[in-house]
Amino acid sequence: MITAYLKRAYSSFAAHVFDVPPRLLAFLLFVLHLVLPVAKPDPFIQLTVFDIFFLAAFAASWDLLVGRSGQISLGHALFFGIGGYTTGILSVNLGLAPWITIPLAVLVGVSASLLIGLPCSRVKGPYLALVTMALPLILVQLFKLDLLLPITGGEAGVGILLPIIPSAFFRMLGFGSRDAIRAVALATYYFALFLVFAASVILYKIANSKTGMVFVSILDDELASKACGINVTRYKLMALAISSLFAALIGAIRGHFATIVSPGRFLDLTVSFAPVMVAFLGGIGTIYGPLIGAYIYYTLDRFVLQKMTQIPFLAFTDWEHVRFLIFAVIVIVLVIKWPRGIARFVTDKLHDLEEARDLDERGKWIWKTYKKRKKKE
Amino acid sequence: MLQVEDLMVHYNGAIALNGVNIKVEDGEFVGVVGPNGAGKTTLLRAISGVLTEVEPGKKEHPSLSGTITFDGKRIDKLRAWKIVKMGIVHCPERRRPFSEMSTLENLKMGAYLRKDKEGVKKDLKRVYELFPVLKERRNQMSQTLSGGEQQMLAIARALMSKPKLLLIDEPSLGLAPILKEKVLEIIKEIWRSGVTVLLVEQDVSITLAIANRIYILAHGRIATEGTKKELMKDRDVREIYLGL
Ligand SMILES: Nc1ncnc2c1ncn2[C@@H]1O[C@H](COP(=O)(O)OP(=O)(O)O)[C@@H](O)[C@H]1O
Ligand SMILES: [Mg+2]
Repeated sequence: MITAYLKRAYSSFAAHVFDVPPRLLAFLLFVLHLVLPVAKPDPFIQLTVFDIFFLAAFAASWDLLVGRSGQISLGHALFFGIGGYTTGILSVNLGLAPWITIPLAVLVGVSASLLIGLPCSRVKGPYLALVTMALPLILVQLFKLDLLLPITGGEAGVGILLPIIPSAFFRMLGFGSRDAIRAVALATYYFALFLVFAASVILYKIANSKTGMVFVSILDDELASKACGINVTRYKLMALAISSLFAALIGAIRGHFATIVSPGRFLDLTVSFAPVMVAFLGGIGTIYGPLIGAYIYYTLDRFVLQKMTQIPFLAFTDWEHVRFLIFAVIVIVLVIKWPRGIARFVTDKLHDLEEARDLDERGKWIWKTYKKRKKKE
Repeated sequence: MLQVEDLMVHYNGAIALNGVNIKVEDGEFVGVVGPNGAGKTTLLRAISGVLTEVEPGKKEHPSLSGTITFDGKRIDKLRAWKIVKMGIVHCPERRRPFSEMSTLENLKMGAYLRKDKEGVKKDLKRVYELFPVLKERRNQMSQTLSGGEQQMLAIARALMSKPKLLLIDEPSLGLAPILKEKVLEIIKEIWRSGVTVLLVEQDVSITLAIANRIYILAHGRIATEGTKKELMKDRDVREIYLGL
């Protein structure tokens, strides 16, 4: 009796509290970030949040491809890296302005995705995942060739890229050199915030447009999609192109802010795995989920994993490799155990709860009408 | 309208259809009956161009030979979406609704290729008249529908594509007898409204009751064909293939 009452109380509580749409949550998060530099003018926090933003946008681009169209890419660093390297090479070697090199970088990224996608989208199986995973590693080796070394910088990478927001601009406005640096930091922060928000909103809009529904239908059931007259190959390519467009754009902009584009931070497997984990943590197929996922991921990576290096007997291990191993294991476990992402797992559970409540009510209704009938008899 | 000639389909060497000839005239209701594994699904998939679809857990590279013509045009080399555009719509086996979508969204997917908004609206209304339960459940996720409702949704989704020729694969699969009859009654009504139907079934008695002309498919070959009367006259056919 009491447990039944408590159960009902809980489920009505859950229905009201957890019904807050994650979209609203993402928006609140955005507003929070808008006022953050004013509320807490700490450059370290700003830099950290800046990193998280890029991760979130990058993961959202991955999510559109994998969470919505069902094509698995385990090497999104390819497009991110192509974006970064293209803009970097053009910027450093030719001295072209960012507003020319970034669009070019996006163009190269999308072209690469189409070149890979054309053969992969016609066959079923993990080809896309494997090809995207292998290509960044091949690129790294290519970049180390003597022939390309002067352009690509090999292991050290390309630098120094021209800034998107030059401090000269603020000095021209009459800022002192210190104030100018601070102003650049703030402008950078807001630029990144705007970028992430815009990218997330656009990706979300695409995901929920008619085109996005077609992506979902392909993920859901390819045969049924074909039976509905959908040109599956075309839509798979489209999803790949849109996703790589955003990945390359984000990579290119990241390159300019990092000032150096290196294999470790643009083409490494850990760069490929990051969006996978972020999307899984935040809820796959939600597009805005990665914003929350990026926070969880960042916390895990920086404040749990890296703190472990300070444990004495762990300190001697080759930390980068251990970190990679842990990431790889997590990715595999996530893909197998919670293919729909952790947030989805929780909302599904809540949904089940709600259904149980509905059943409960229906059961009561049947019981009541049964009693009424009995009385009549 | 539809003509299938010498159709052969191999799955990785294993033969599924071995020289099948079928003809469907405009306005006909044609049934194909045959036991499990006879090649019924393969036949419909070959016609609608989705044969290359891999069933989970099965490895195969289907190869197809023979000719399929629709309204005088060869369609056996066409991609699936072009075939749908020509008016052949496939309502697949085991219903296959889009589980992540609501009933209404599923129906809209069916109308994906159509540009005539007014026509789509009209057809949606008509589909709701045929299947009132779908109207009730229009905002419900399709995976929470019952088996019968999902079958209705699958047929309704196919109707939203405005078929000239409707291919239906085992609509009675897994349905209670009363529901079976109801679904088949609706299929008949769809046929009466002017859609040519090619129905594939294991259930012989309902197919005999409903189709104008029936092909009997066994081991990838057409064993015989005819109207209900003709088939019932032949004692061998009755005993061997129909089990009656
Ligand atoms: N995807 C596939 N891969 C390999 N063999 C298949 C596949 N689909 C069907 N088959 C084989 O082809 C034959 C015909 O199958 P099918 O067309 O599904 O028959 P039905 O629909 O009449 O039950 C069967 O022997 C079956 O095992
Ligand atoms: Mg079958």
